[in-house]
Amino acid sequence: MHGRIKIKSTAQQEEEKRKEREKKLKIYVSARDTCFSKVTRVLLIQVVSNHQVLFSFLCGLCVSYLHSMFLLDTHCQRKEGILDEEALQVTQQLLSSNPDFATLWNYRREILMHLETVKEKDEVQKIYEAELAFLESCLKLNPKSYGSWHHRCWVSARLPRPDWSRELSLCDRCLSLDDRNFHCWDYRRMVVKVSGVPVAQELGFTDRLIGSNFSNYSSWHYRSTLLPLLHPESPESPSPSHEPPQPSPSHSPQTQSHRVCEEQLLKEYELVQNAFFTDPNDQSAWFYYRWLLGRAEREEMISCVYVSRDEERVAVAFSRPVNAQSVSLLLVLDGQPQKVEWKSVHPRFKHSPVCICDLPPGTISDITNEHNLTVHWTEKYTHRDCALYTGRTESWCRDSATDQELFRSELSVEKTSVLQSELQSCNQLLELEPLNKWCLLTIVLLMRALDPLGYEKETLAHFQTLKEVDPMRSAYYSDLCSKFIIENTVLKMEYAEVRVFSITDKNLTTLCHLDQLLLVTHINLSSNQLQQLPPQFAMLQCLEVLEVDNNRIENLEGVYHLPKLEEVLLKNNKISALADLQPLASCPKLRRLDLRGNPVTQAANIESELTALLPSVTDLLL
Amino acid sequence: MGTQVKDVIIKPDAPSALLLDKHADYIAAYGSKKDDYEYTLSEYLRMSGIYWGLTVMDLMGQLPRMSRQEIIDFIKACQHECGGISASIGHDPHLLYTLSAVQILCLYDSVDTIDVDKVVDYVKGLQQEDGSFAGDKWGEIDTRFSFCAVATLALLGKMNTVNVDRAVQFVLSCMNFDGGFGCRPGSESHAGQIYCCTGFLALTGQLHQVNADLLGWWLCERQLPSGGLNGRPEKLPDVCYSWWVLASLKIIGRIHWIDKAKLRTFILACQDEETGGFADRPGDMVDPFHTLFGVAGLSLLGDEQIKPVNPVLCMPEDVLQRVGLQVDLLS
Ligand SMILES: [Zn+2]
Repeated sequence: MHGRIKIKSTAQQEEEKRKEREKKLKIYVSARDTCFSKVTRVLLIQVVSNHQVLFSFLCGLCVSYLHSMFLLDTHCQRKEGILDEEALQVTQQLLSSNPDFATLWNYRREILMHLETVKEKDEVQKIYEAELAFLESCLKLNPKSYGSWHHRCWVSARLPRPDWSRELSLCDRCLSLDDRNFHCWDYRRMVVKVSGVPVAQELGFTDRLIGSNFSNYSSWHYRSTLLPLLHPESPESPSPSHEPPQPSPSHSPQTQSHRVCEEQLLKEYELVQNAFFTDPNDQSAWFYYRWLLGRAEREEMISCVYVSRDEERVAVAFSRPVNAQSVSLLLVLDGQPQKVEWKSVHPRFKHSPVCICDLPPGTISDITNEHNLTVHWTEKYTHRDCALYTGRTESWCRDSATDQELFRSELSVEKTSVLQSELQSCNQLLELEPLNKWCLLTIVLLMRALDPLGYEKETLAHFQTLKEVDPMRSAYYSDLCSKFIIENTVLKMEYAEVRVFSITDKNLTTLCHLDQLLLVTHINLSSNQLQQLPPQFAMLQCLEVLEVDNNRIENLEGVYHLPKLEEVLLKNNKISALADLQPLASCPKLRRLDLRGNPVTQAANIESELTALLPSVTDLLL
Repeated sequence: MGTQVKDVIIKPDAPSALLLDKHADYIAAYGSKKDDYEYTLSEYLRMSGIYWGLTVMDLMGQLPRMSRQEIIDFIKACQHECGGISASIGHDPHLLYTLSAVQILCLYDSVDTIDVDKVVDYVKGLQQEDGSFAGDKWGEIDTRFSFCAVATLALLGKMNTVNVDRAVQFVLSCMNFDGGFGCRPGSESHAGQIYCCTGFLALTGQLHQVNADLLGWWLCERQLPSGGLNGRPEKLPDVCYSWWVLASLKIIGRIHWIDKAKLRTFILACQDEETGGFADRPGDMVDPFHTLFGVAGLSLLGDEQIKPVNPVLCMPEDVLQRVGLQVDLLS
């Protein structure tokens, strides 16, 4: 189906081609039918000799071949060996030309398993070796057939005396023809795992491949799975250089155990740098480099507990999204475990980093009482306390998140000099290749790893260049730039210890990290390019004033059950229907709404309909 | 020294308008050439072939042109005692064709014509201790089969019959340094596998486990100067990969990260003006597989002549509404 070029032909050529195909079809169909009947014969013998395969026999057999089964009944008398080998022969012909015909491989496996039961071990070894030779010829013709590679795995696993070094050298040869063949890479990983090839040896193999051609994404990928096994990050586990790589759920790159120790990291930086200085447009090395720069996961913890006396509500923020319905949380109030229902802040947002619950009415409403609250995340053996003092209407307890923990690369301080020199190298490359997008983006990432606020201005300038040199991905760069601006603003807010969050006139195209804004009371996002306030926006549980004038907002889904929200300033946006304002009806304290410059204001009876929809609003600007 | 970007050049006379009528004629005629050599050679995947043809016809509003009863009878004849469904009569059952068959029956609103409980048992029986799924009783493991299993069960409303937590753990163990997914733990990322795994995570409600920004970057870097998308770095663009990548981006809420207009130009250029149908690349031979993914891709890009397509199941949204299956995507 892939890569068959259409050739224009004359009527005569067309006719010749048609005849040719007709001939081929006849040969193919007769071979297939012979094969199905052979198979029937072989299977019949199996039924006679082994009741266990009866089930598979019935499964594999189709109605239209039932009658041929009866016709072939007499053949049961024939010697099994001859019949089986004959069937192997015919399937062989078909599979050489059509290796994706899965059922034929299945038939071969049934025959082979049958032969195992009737032949001597040495003979079985020979039969399976012949099968491997046949497979090799299939793979030469069609190196990307799932069926052939799986059959080779199957045969290798059943071979009485496997020769793994031969299999490994088959992989070497196959990869020398096509170093991106992922079937072969996967087969190699299986061989390495089963035969215990040392990780270090495999890493050496990728060294050689990358050495001969930097532009080899498959090799860089393989390195990313091998390095954490050979040079894990944690100092307590020594290098398991004699164990084969054993990818397992706990070794997913997304977990901390998949990080690389710093010493090795420095060597890798050097290797990748060689690669991208040799060919600055080869994306493989840049993708790998970005992985090296990546940070470890944050520790799983409760990052903030907030309690409000007015709403008698508790909000809990976590370091990663949790499912409010199934997370194991225990709320203890003044020493008494409370029966509460934890929920997400928005129904469309099941896994959320913020969960809320309402306390039984009257529990904390008396302002003259002091209360002590503890939230336990029982499955993670972690908790956070929060005290609500007399005379206070709200309280919170949180980590004062630093930029290191929140958004920056997880590198120790002494390595900062290394990153600094990496940045210098990239800047040198940029001087040679001023429009290289890979280099520009990497510089941005290095700057963020080093000093996000200090490099803010240069970062923004580089994003501008990126959008110009790579316009196809300008929306990606805009979103990434928005993310970095939001991160910087969160950091500045942390340092200033305020509850006001303001990003205006910065071309923001997307909102993220909204869980960091749980305590924010005033948000100003005016004069940006926002199109929506997504469900995640409902995490702003303390929000009182929302300013989003002069954006392109058409969707307010996330302005949902915000208990303290009083003012919504939405001037000059794209709200076009009354239904789009429906979420606001869930905010009980809303009293001021500015909708001037939105298409919805042109609708008939808009004022009376809005009054009906939002009865709490006393100050409506249309 | 520099890497030559592998790409195609779209000729100025390449098709630039959508030829829906020709595509419908092409698909309607395809199944009637039953003694054709190509047709016979593809018998081993017939059930998926029928799904491709019917789905693209439904997306174009032309489903009634296909022979409904003949197809339903065919599917019935392909269900085996074990519950699994094969590509064709006389072939062995497999998860790939079991899903295709269930998808077809959903298009025809006639799932009950086969033994649904047995299908569920078949799928259930293929789950392994580690949560993965084998494609059939011969034990090939692949995240494609994890997708086939949960997609089949989701369409039948029987997701809870397998161990979903373990199935999720297995798929997550196939996540790579670039945020993508491969066939098995340790396998290289590949757009087809990424589609299966993000689709799987959408169906199981676990999309928050995806590193959407990192994966989205890898995916949008698949777009080449011609506008077409490739399936892995340094490969040629292809209409089917355009679908796998585009659908994955849609699932993780990042479809706006590619240049939609340029992709549309590429997909339209892969049409054959004479025969109808889409090829993998401009100037190649057309087939039903690329015809479906060409049309489905244009639907995701917002073409209003085509019915809206669901990015996870590659079926018309109205069919999924009828089935009562709602899949949440990332926003
Ligand atoms: Zn393709």
